[in-house]
Amino acid sequence: MRVVVGYGNELRGEDAFGVDVIKELEKFHLKNTKLISAFQLTPEIVLELLEADEIIFIDACNNEKNHYALACSLSEQSRFNLSHHISPKTIVAMLESLYEKHPNFFIYSMMTDSFSKIIEFKKYEECVDAVVKELLKNDY
Amino acid sequence: MKTIVIDPVTRIEGHAKITISLNEEGKVDDAKIHVTQYRGFEKFCEGRMYSEMPALTARTCGICPVSHVIASTKAIDEILAITPPQAGINIRKIINLAQILQSHTLNFFHLSSPDFIYGFDAPKEDRNIFKMMQTHPQMARDGIKLRAFGQKIIEELGGKRIHPTGVVPGGAAHKIELSQKEIILAQIPDMLKIAQGALEFFKTNLHKFQKEIDSFAAFPSLFMALTNKDKTLEHYNGTLCFMDSDGNIIKDAIEPRDYKEFIGEAVEEDSYLKSPYYKPLGYPQGMYRVGPLARLNIASTCGTPLADEELKKFKALHGGKPVLNSFYYHYARLIEIIYTIEKIEELLNDEETMSENVKATSSVSKTKGVGCSEAPRGTLFHEYHVTKEGVITGVNLIIATGNNNLAMNAGVKQVAQAFVDSKNITDGALNRVEAVIRCFDPCLSCSTHALGILSSKIEIVDHNKKIVKVIDRS
Repeated sequence: MRVVVGYGNELRGEDAFGVDVIKELEKFHLKNTKLISAFQLTPEIVLELLEADEIIFIDACNNEKNHYALACSLSEQSRFNLSHHISPKTIVAMLESLYEKHPNFFIYSMMTDSFSKIIEFKKYEECVDAVVKELLKNDY
Repeated sequence: MKTIVIDPVTRIEGHAKITISLNEEGKVDDAKIHVTQYRGFEKFCEGRMYSEMPALTARTCGICPVSHVIASTKAIDEILAITPPQAGINIRKIINLAQILQSHTLNFFHLSSPDFIYGFDAPKEDRNIFKMMQTHPQMARDGIKLRAFGQKIIEELGGKRIHPTGVVPGGAAHKIELSQKEIILAQIPDMLKIAQGALEFFKTNLHKFQKEIDSFAAFPSLFMALTNKDKTLEHYNGTLCFMDSDGNIIKDAIEPRDYKEFIGEAVEEDSYLKSPYYKPLGYPQGMYRVGPLARLNIASTCGTPLADEELKKFKALHGGKPVLNSFYYHYARLIEIIYTIEKIEELLNDEETMSENVKATSSVSKTKGVGCSEAPRGTLFHEYHVTKEGVITGVNLIIATGNNNLAMNAGVKQVAQAFVDSKNITDGALNRVEAVIRCFDPCLSCSTHALGILSSKIEIVDHNKKIVKVIDRS
C-alpha cells in the first residue's frame, strides 16, 4: 500500500502545501493509496504507516531563492529533532528500528519563504496540481 | 567571573538558554534560565470577539492546545454566565485527561527516559530516543502506543488531535457515540499495563539517581493546585489551594476568579517568562511550584484505585510530608498517567456522559471571565475582559510553566552549584543542569508568547562578565 502524508499549518500561508495536496487527492478516491493530512509529524503517526510499502511525505520547504520550485527527496532534513514534531526521516527510522518495516519513501517539497500568506495563488495552485498529477500516475 | 552558556536547552518544549556565572574561585555564583521567545497573545487578542478566543489561544501551543481551549471556554462560560450540562463537562474532562496523558507520556518516554536508561554521564550521542529505540525498542513502542491513545481520544471527541474544536463555550460540540466509547474502553487494560510498567521501570532505577534526587531543585517552597473540598485530585473543577513545605495549608478555597488577590506577576529583564509569586509573601520569597508534584502533594487521594495505591508509596517518600525533590516530578507524572486512564474509564462509564444534552447557550452577561484548569504542567489561568458586545478589551494569561519560573531558576542554581566546577566542566554536569529543567517539563512556547529559532544554549561567564564557554546544541 502507498501512503501519502501531507502536513502543514493551514493558517500559515504556503506552509499548507502538503495539506492542500491531500485535499485535491481526496477527490480522486484512489484505490491503493491511503491519504493522511496532518498539522505536523508526531511519533504516533508511525502506527498509521505500518502497512505501507511506500510513503510519500509532502511539505513546504523554507527556501528564499527558488520560490515555487518543486523538489523530491531532500536530504538535508535532520533525523535528530524529536520534541513534539519530527522529520520524515525520523518517522522512517522509527518504522525500521521499532517495527522492522522498510518502506520506500520520498519527500515532495515546494520551495517557499512565505509562511504568513499565499503570495501567488496561480503559481501555488500549479504546484499543487503538478504534485497531484505525479501521484495520480502511480496509483497502482 | 566566568559564565557558561547552555544554548539551546534540549529535550524541552520551546527555546531557552541557561547562564551559569562563576566567581573568582571558579565556583558557581548564580545560574539562570532565560526564555528567549516572545509570543504576544495577550496583546493581539484584543479587539477580537470573545467567541474566537478558544481557537485563537489554542494556537499558543501544539502540545497542550487542549489545556488552553479548556481554560478559555471556562472563562467564556463565566462571561456568558452559563453552566454547561454535565455531559458537556464530562466530555471536557475526558479530553483534558487525554491531553495530560499524552503530554506526560511524551515527557517520560521521549524526552526524559534516555537519562534514566543511560545515565546523566552517558555520551550525548546516546542520550536520545534513537539510542533508546535500539536498546529498549519495547519501551519506545509502548511510548508511541500510549501517546497515540491520548491523541486518538482528543481526535475522536475533540474533532482534531491538535487544536481541537469540539470543546466550545457552554460545553461540548458533539455527544459521545456509543462506538467511540467502546473503542476507548477496549484499550484501557492495555494502556494501564503500559503505564504501570513504566512506573515500575522508574521505581526500580531510582536508586541510581540519589545525587540527582538530592540536588535537582530539592528545596522548600510553596505548592499550588486546584483541588476539591475533600482534597481529591482535581484537574478541571475545584478551588485553588496553597500548601507550605511542611504540609500546612496556608490558603485554601480560593475561587479562581480571585487569583489576582493571591498571585503577583513579576517580570525579569533577562527573560520573556513571567515570574508569578504568592503575593502575601512578596517577591521572590513567594516562590511556589505547580504541576504533578504540587498536585500530588496537595491531594490526599486520587480517587481511583491503582493511582491511590501508588499515591500512598509516593507520600511515604517524605514521611507523609510534601515531597520537595523536583526529580520526583517524574514519579508524580507517572502516577498521574495511571490516574488519567482510570478516570477516563470512570467518566465514560458515567451514564450522564452519554447524554445528548452537551451544550448550553447564552449571550454576553458579564464583562469579565476567568477560566482555570490544571494543564499537564500545572495551573493555567485565562482572564478576559469584554465590552457588552463581546469584543475583547483585555487578556491576562498565566501559563502553568510560568508558575514554576522562580523554582526552575532556583533549581538550575542548585544543580549547577552541585555539579559544575570551572576546572572541570563536563558534558554530564551540563546535562544535569538541563535535566533539572526537564523535571518541570516546561512548555516554553506556551508560556512566553515568539518567533522561535530551533531549540535551545549554556553560557559560562567569568567574574569580568566575559563568556568563557558556550554550549550550543542547535
